[in-house]
Amino acid sequence: MLDVKINKSLGDFHLDVDFQVKKGIVGLLGPSGCGKSLTLQAIAGLLKPDSGRIAIDERVLFDDKKRVNIPTRLRSVGYVFQNYALFPHLTVAENIGYGLAGLSKQEKQQKVRSILETVQLEGLAKRYPNELSGGQQQRVALARTLVTEPDILLLDEPFSALDQHVKKMLELELLEIIKHNFSGVVLFVTHNIEEAYRLCDYICLYDSGSNIQFGEKGEVLTRPVNKAAARIVGCENIYEIDSFEGSLIIVNDLQLKVVGTSITHGKYVGIHNYDITFVPSSSEANTFEFKVRSIVEGIDHSTVTVTVGPLLFKVDVPKATVTQISEGDIMLHLPPEKLFLLGV
Amino acid sequence: MDQINLFPLYLSLRVALTATLITIIIGLPTAYYLSRARGRVADFLDTVITLPIVLPPTVLGYYLLVLLGRNSAIGSFLEERFNIMIVFTPTGAVIAATVVSIPFLIKSAKAAFLGIDLNVVNAARVLGRTEFNIFLTIIVPLAWRGIAAGITLGFARALGDFGTTLMVAGSIPNQTMTMPIAIYDALLAGNRDLANVLVFIMTAVSLFVLYTINRLEKRVSKGGAN
Repeated sequence: MLDVKINKSLGDFHLDVDFQVKKGIVGLLGPSGCGKSLTLQAIAGLLKPDSGRIAIDERVLFDDKKRVNIPTRLRSVGYVFQNYALFPHLTVAENIGYGLAGLSKQEKQQKVRSILETVQLEGLAKRYPNELSGGQQQRVALARTLVTEPDILLLDEPFSALDQHVKKMLELELLEIIKHNFSGVVLFVTHNIEEAYRLCDYICLYDSGSNIQFGEKGEVLTRPVNKAAARIVGCENIYEIDSFEGSLIIVNDLQLKVVGTSITHGKYVGIHNYDITFVPSSSEANTFEFKVRSIVEGIDHSTVTVTVGPLLFKVDVPKATVTQISEGDIMLHLPPEKLFLLGV
Repeated sequence: MDQINLFPLYLSLRVALTATLITIIIGLPTAYYLSRARGRVADFLDTVITLPIVLPPTVLGYYLLVLLGRNSAIGSFLEERFNIMIVFTPTGAVIAATVVSIPFLIKSAKAAFLGIDLNVVNAARVLGRTEFNIFLTIIVPLAWRGIAAGITLGFARALGDFGTTLMVAGSIPNQTMTMPIAIYDALLAGNRDLANVLVFIMTAVSLFVLYTINRLEKRVSKGGAN
C-alpha cells in the first residue's frame, strides 16, 4: 500500500498529488513536464515536498507535520532511471552488487549470480555498461534494484531510451521479470497510453502537476473524467454540450443519446476514434449522414476525418474497410454506450 | 666543480608534494561543493579561489605576509600557542605553494564533477550508500581524469613557484631555498655551471613526475569511465 499526498512548488510549477495504491502496476500517464517523474523523485526522497505525507504500508517516509523525512538511502525504494544511470566505471556484476554493501563477499556473489540468471545476463557479468545493448542495460538496471529487495519499484520511462522495434519485445520481458520477482507496488511513468494500457493494471492520469484521475485501466480509458483526461487517453472527438433535453443531449443541433452515465452533469461529450462505426442507412439514434474530409493511412488502421454539419469526427477504421466508405450509402453511428460526458 | 648542494631539490620536492596533498584534501571537497552549490556565497568563493591564478605572485606573497606574519592575528596566535612560525620557514613555503596551486585542482575537478550525470549519483543514493561513500566510489572515479589533470597542474605549479615562496619563505640557504630560487641565486652569483645543472635536474624531475602521473591517469581511467 502506497500512500502519497504531497505539495511542492518549483517556480511557476506546482506539484499537487494525492493517491493511494494497494497493489499492482500503476501507470503514471500524462504529457511531458506534468510532474510524473517529480512524484517518483519525491517518493525516493530525491526531492523534498513542501508539505504532505508519503507512506508505504505502515512505514512513513515523509510527513511534514511530524517532521519525518527519511533519507533516500534508508527508504528501501527501487528506482530504474530513464537512462538507466548505470555506473559506467563498474562492471555489470559490480553495478548489481553496489546496493549490497552490508553483505559478506560470498553472499553478495551468490545474490548477484542468481539475479543475473533471472534477467538472463549470466555471460555478461564482467562487461562494462557501454559494451551492452540498450535492452541489456535496462535489465542490468532492473537487476541492480531488484537485488536490494525494495518495498516499492519506481520505473521512470524505462523504454524511452530504446529503439522502437525492440520496445514491444522488451516490454513483455520486463513485465515477466517484474511479475515473477516483485510483489510490491510498481509505479511506471510513461506518456504513451498504449504502453500504459499494455503493461499496467491501474492508470493514474496527470495534468499540469496534479493527478486528475485514478482507476482500473479499462475504466480510465472508457470513462475519462474531464477534457484533459480524455485528451491524455487519446480521445480526439470532444464536443461542447449546448443543452440537455430529457435523455438526449444537444450538440450543435445534433441530438445525441447517451446511456450508462447520469446525463445531467457534464460540459463536454466525447467518444474514442475507434468506437465510432459506419452502419447501413437507418433511423436508429445517433446515426447521421456525413461527408468525408480526408483519409490518413496508418499501419494497422486508417483514420477517416468526416463532417456532420459543422462537427468534425475522427474515425479509426480497419484498412480493409476504408474503400467501402462512401458518402450517402452508409451513415456514421455513435454508439450511445460509448459516449462519455466530461466535466470541465 | 664543487659538490652540488642538492638540498634545494629535496626541499622543492618535499614542499610540492606536501602542498599537493593538502590541495587534494581541501580542494576536492571544495570543488564538489562548488559544483553542487548555487547562489552568491558559492559564486563569491569560486571567484576568490580563482584569484591566485590571476594575481601576480608578489601580490599573493604580500597578502600571505600580512595575513600570516608575526604581527598578524593568525601569525601571533600560532606562534604563542603552538610555537609555529610561518614566515621564513619551510612551512611558509608549503603554504605559499598550496595557495598558488589549489585553484588549478579546484577548477579542473569542479568541471569534471559538473560533467557527472546527476541520475548516476541519485541511483547510488537509492541503492543505500552514504554521501561520503558515494563520493569515494562513484564521484571521484568518474571525475578522475579531471582530478588527475588538476593534480598534475597543481603539482607543477607548486614545484615551480618562485615569487610567492620567495616573499613568504625567503631564500635562506639550506632552510627555505627551493630549486627555482636556487637557480636564480646561482645565476645572480654568476655561477653559470651550477645554474645549468640545477635547470637540467629541475626539467628532468618535472618530466618524470608528469609522465608518471599521466600513466597513472590512463591506468585508473580504464574501464569505460568518461
